[in-house]
Amino acid sequence: MTAATLQNTTKIFKYSYPTCTNKEILYKLEVPVEIPHNGSTRELVQRVLKMFHIPVYLEEELNERLAQFVSEETKNFHNERDEKLLNQLKNSEINVEGIVKNWEKLFKDNVVEFAEQKGTPDEEVFAAAYHKLVHSPALETILQVENSYAKTVMNTLKNRDDDIAKLTLSQTEEMEEKMRLLNTMTTEEEINELAARHFEEQALVSGRWGSQLDALWQTQRAQHRAWLMNTLDQYQTTAALNTPSNSPIGTFSGPGGGSEPPSPPAAARLEESFTIHLGSQLKQTHNVRIVAMDLLDLCTVDHDNPTETSRRLQTSLALYSTELTGVVLLSESAPSRPSPPTTTLMAAARESTEHHFPDVEQQLREITDKVKEPADKRNTQRLKEQTENSNSGSSGNGSSNSARLRPKRNLQTGDIYVTRHSNLAEAHVVFHLIADDSSLRSGDITSRHPVILGLRNILKAACSNDITTISLPLLLRHEHSEEMTAAWCVRRAELVLKCVKGFMLEAAGWGGAEVRTLHFAVPPNTAPQVFASLANLLPSIFRISNPVKFKAPTQ
Amino acid sequence: MYIENEEDYKFAACTYFAKNHPGETCGSNGLPLTPSSITILGRAQRLLTIEHSNLCIYLDIIRGKHERIIVVAEVIGKPLKEFTTKFSFDEIKNIAKQVAEGLMFLHEQDITHRTLSQDNILLDNSGRVKLFNYGLYYMTGGGSEVSFPLGLPRYLSPEAILGGGGPAADVWTFGIILLELCIGKLWNNLKPGPILRRILTLIHATNPAERISREHDCFEKYKLVPENLKTIIEKCLKMYPSERATFKEIIHDLLDINTHALTHVKPPRGLDGCKLQYLYHWWQLAGGDIQAELKKNGLIKNSPPILSMPIAILLDGCTIGGKTGALFDGRIAKYSLDLLKSRLSHISPHDFYPLMHERKKQYDAVTLPKIIRERDTEYQFYRLLWFQRLLHGYPYTAPYIRAEAEIDIPPLVRGDVWAALLGVVGDIEEQYERIDKETPTPTDRQIDVDIPRCHQYCWLLCGSAGHRTLKRLLKAWLLTNPQYVYWQGLDSLTAPFLYLNFCNEARAFACLSAFVPKFLHKFFLKDNSAVIKEYLAKFWQMAAFHEPELATHLHAIHFVPELFAIPWFLTMFSHVFPLHKIVHLWDALLVEGPALPLFMGVGILRQLRDTLLESGFNECILLFSDLPEIDIGECVKESIEMCRSSPKSISYRRFTNEAVIKDPMDQVEISLEVLFTEISPRISLSDFFSLICQDKCCVIDIRSNLLYEKSCIEGSINVPYSGVHLGQHELRALGLHPQKVLQEAMKQKKTVVVASVEDETAQLFSDYLVKCKVPRVCILRGGIPALLINVPSLFTVPPSKNGHK
Repeated sequence: MTAATLQNTTKIFKYSYPTCTNKEILYKLEVPVEIPHNGSTRELVQRVLKMFHIPVYLEEELNERLAQFVSEETKNFHNERDEKLLNQLKNSEINVEGIVKNWEKLFKDNVVEFAEQKGTPDEEVFAAAYHKLVHSPALETILQVENSYAKTVMNTLKNRDDDIAKLTLSQTEEMEEKMRLLNTMTTEEEINELAARHFEEQALVSGRWGSQLDALWQTQRAQHRAWLMNTLDQYQTTAALNTPSNSPIGTFSGPGGGSEPPSPPAAARLEESFTIHLGSQLKQTHNVRIVAMDLLDLCTVDHDNPTETSRRLQTSLALYSTELTGVVLLSESAPSRPSPPTTTLMAAARESTEHHFPDVEQQLREITDKVKEPADKRNTQRLKEQTENSNSGSSGNGSSNSARLRPKRNLQTGDIYVTRHSNLAEAHVVFHLIADDSSLRSGDITSRHPVILGLRNILKAACSNDITTISLPLLLRHEHSEEMTAAWCVRRAELVLKCVKGFMLEAAGWGGAEVRTLHFAVPPNTAPQVFASLANLLPSIFRISNPVKFKAPTQ
Repeated sequence: MYIENEEDYKFAACTYFAKNHPGETCGSNGLPLTPSSITILGRAQRLLTIEHSNLCIYLDIIRGKHERIIVVAEVIGKPLKEFTTKFSFDEIKNIAKQVAEGLMFLHEQDITHRTLSQDNILLDNSGRVKLFNYGLYYMTGGGSEVSFPLGLPRYLSPEAILGGGGPAADVWTFGIILLELCIGKLWNNLKPGPILRRILTLIHATNPAERISREHDCFEKYKLVPENLKTIIEKCLKMYPSERATFKEIIHDLLDINTHALTHVKPPRGLDGCKLQYLYHWWQLAGGDIQAELKKNGLIKNSPPILSMPIAILLDGCTIGGKTGALFDGRIAKYSLDLLKSRLSHISPHDFYPLMHERKKQYDAVTLPKIIRERDTEYQFYRLLWFQRLLHGYPYTAPYIRAEAEIDIPPLVRGDVWAALLGVVGDIEEQYERIDKETPTPTDRQIDVDIPRCHQYCWLLCGSAGHRTLKRLLKAWLLTNPQYVYWQGLDSLTAPFLYLNFCNEARAFACLSAFVPKFLHKFFLKDNSAVIKEYLAKFWQMAAFHEPELATHLHAIHFVPELFAIPWFLTMFSHVFPLHKIVHLWDALLVEGPALPLFMGVGILRQLRDTLLESGFNECILLFSDLPEIDIGECVKESIEMCRSSPKSISYRRFTNEAVIKDPMDQVEISLEVLFTEISPRISLSDFFSLICQDKCCVIDIRSNLLYEKSCIEGSINVPYSGVHLGQHELRALGLHPQKVLQEAMKQKKTVVVASVEDETAQLFSDYLVKCKVPRVCILRGGIPALLINVPSLFTVPPSKNGHK
């Protein structure tokens, strides 16, 4: 606002003093001085004295004169600029209305005193209520209630799947029957007709189930909210009577009530953790872990497994805290046309009711709508630049191919969209990083590749949004494919680790939350030898912190 | 609402968010842009030093999470806005005069207020006026580092509305406030838009003040204003800044009409009489929490972050959805000292005024680790007041300061104490002024490369203000020390001084200038290899002296100090440790003198002892490439102990700033070639003599027994060199008697002095002892012959072995 008009100028400081032989002839000195002068005028005098070999007895006078000159000129500088502005105002050469509107907007948008009074939004009230309850003895009940809601949804889903499967079966049979009789009893048209009818039936059934599910979600959500607010009221009134135990986890027992031994995890997965130090003098501690697993495992909840509740418990406790958990999924498609792994995530998210945020589908729709305009703007801009570049013919090097636009897509490689979830196993936030599969398959991507830059944006977003645990695909691939040889994996992992290290160091200066735990996931079926060589990369790239050893006092 | 007494509040805090850089954050130099909050923090440091009777002192600028800035400053009384009664014209003149004084001072410092309003002019019961948070415009770089507009609409000057405005804009605002005080609040209940429009239409008025009062139907009231006050208001409310009066003129005018002086208030005693900066410091130590009160007043709101998650991030960093900028809330949270008062209530009034020559009490806290003492309210209370006294008398109190600094240095005055310890005196500002820090030199490039990598985790040093000052300091030092060149590491060495004297460049420079000759004499020569080699050799000898086993191991695996210790000593550890550790290290360094760093090196090795002993060459290299956590308190303690228990002469170095030693009793110098080969240091005759006198040494005479029996040093034992098997690293091999004597000496921590006639044998034998894990081994300089010449009285004839005839 003001910065634009503050153009500095240069003024010439003139000074003269008599030459030693002739009083009339003056030694003249001219020094250009920048106005407004930032810095000490006395220092400038010293430089002038030295540079022009001016006798020291003039020092005091020069000090005085230069200080006066600068203050005078600075005043003039301000006054002249302001006079010009005021004259323009006087002669109506200035858009007063525009200026005033601008100020009005600034005040209204940024200053409490002039802003429109708004109450606390609903979601914040609910968030506060939930956060409070979940950190109270009511936690156990909440989880139980949520679990029973989830069971209902699961049952409905199961019924739907059964129903559809049944229908499909009968349709297939019918179709096969018809096919068999083709050319004897039936014609091609009849079969086409049948296929169309089958399709319609399918759509009808899934539509019916869909609306049934929608209704179920809606009611559950409403019930859940009402019940929670009610519980909170009760809790607050009775809190004086039964003091909440400080550690809800301590009193927690599985929702089944019975203390059945936790079933061992399906298969021991390969994983290794390290505590690392970043920074040269002041060291920051982070945890990094390399795991062979499907990142979607962090999302899907296995409702039948009783140990899952502890995972869910952590997630619920942290939902409205400043220690969120994020997962990075690579996705090839736009939010409007989801494809795996986004679809798998969606299925996972819909296995139980989303009590806190809009339904995934709705979130994706909203993203599609809101992203369209800024992305289109950016794309046309980029397209223009690209054509300019190709016209000038200087784009001969390979740098341009990584940023090549995919037509008719508003989100491009390296862009990210974000969904929020309350009902996933170990994630609150999912970053969908758009990645062009073919380019990631190739062995040689550089640190300037858009997907890598996307990772940087993700870490930055994590930092400024209090996400303190983040899991990302180390190889930038969710599954193994044939070109991913051991050497390929090591090369890719090295690139990603080094870049992430750089981003983490950079993040330290951003003044947000620090990402405390980083999980690097490799595909679950990674061979143990390959995994070992990848795990070995970690201590060579990151500085592993030396454990503090306890020493018994000698003597 | 509880009853509150305004006078109880000593300071207040307000908070706002700095602007976020949109999109891709890289500057022209390829490095990430400095966050706005860092820039603000750097600029605001200067405000902390401003003291004027009409300005509230800035106490602290805190950078919170997510670009939050919290400003803590003094408060008195209450803002003009909250006074409900109308002021008399005399009162108005009094307010006007004091406000003008404050503003004049600011303008002299090239600080424009811009946000002057009735909210930040504070008035107390005795009629004293102070301006609160006058530096908002200054610290935010004219508002460019924040997203909200500065100032309130009705106090904006016409040119400020149009996007201009220099210091003269404050004169306009001053005029508006005076007018408000005379005729009542202006443009009440109007929205910003209409107010601004009205201000701009004043361009067509000949007398804006009159026009405004007419608009408010207050012309009659305005006419009642005394003529002289009216003139001042009208002089301020000129549309064109060039026509407005300056504060100097206004004060002049006010002096003419304002006769009665302010009632003199007796300076308060006790806690209220202490420096506000100290009070704030103690208050924090006592558990005072700035953020808690802000939260309570709703000035810090924490909405759950999951609710404001962005929905998409484009590749160029453009974020869609998510957080909307928090609104600027000009309210403040006030703090009283009750917490501190109750904490210090049992302290007697005498203790507020410690006497320098009085026998001092001992405080229990002295035995606790330094880090804990620095957090102890009461201990810091005594220490700060005491140091304040001592610093007040500097340079005459220099020896007292040194003696006290030996115990510890209160963090709040560390900068002052360091300067005192380094003997900084005189008009350092003028000396510093005379040095040309601007003209480009060939080293600038290297400096520019190094500075953005120097202690950048420190918020002060990573901002542009920090970078600029560090560069100026380095350039000034290089210019004043033409015999030296810029070695990488000089930046790290300068950083602690800059950190402690952020707003006092001249003193930072003076400290650096005094530090280098004392501790790093000749280290920055273009060819410093001899100096560094000597230093490292000496360090290695000290390691052998105090840690023989470790030294032997490291010798065996050829892990030499050249591989890791050069940055330690070249930067006096400032390159290897973070600032909060360096300050403790240097506290000791400045008191103990130039020999200490050698022992600090040994202290670090000692902490890693167990790991090092089981490591080979490669593991050692890896370990030192990233030094593990070192307990600095422990390291300092042990190194001081080692330093004090070692004879002075064994750490003698040739390349120091000290006078050449002439006395043969004190000489220990040997040629560098010999030094590089020796594992054990040499002890001077006089040190040896004093050790003998204190019975703190065990002398091993390795001459042949014939010579020994003729005449020997009293109390020495004879181990003829010719009979020693150098291959057998066991004391037992020396025979029963020498073994017993040596073991006894080790137990009593005696220094083992090897005396011989030839240097070679002494050297070989001392190496042998070190390999036998005997600590504190040194060689008598000049051997028996020199001692015989200089101190013949020590010699005697040994009792015959198979004695009784």
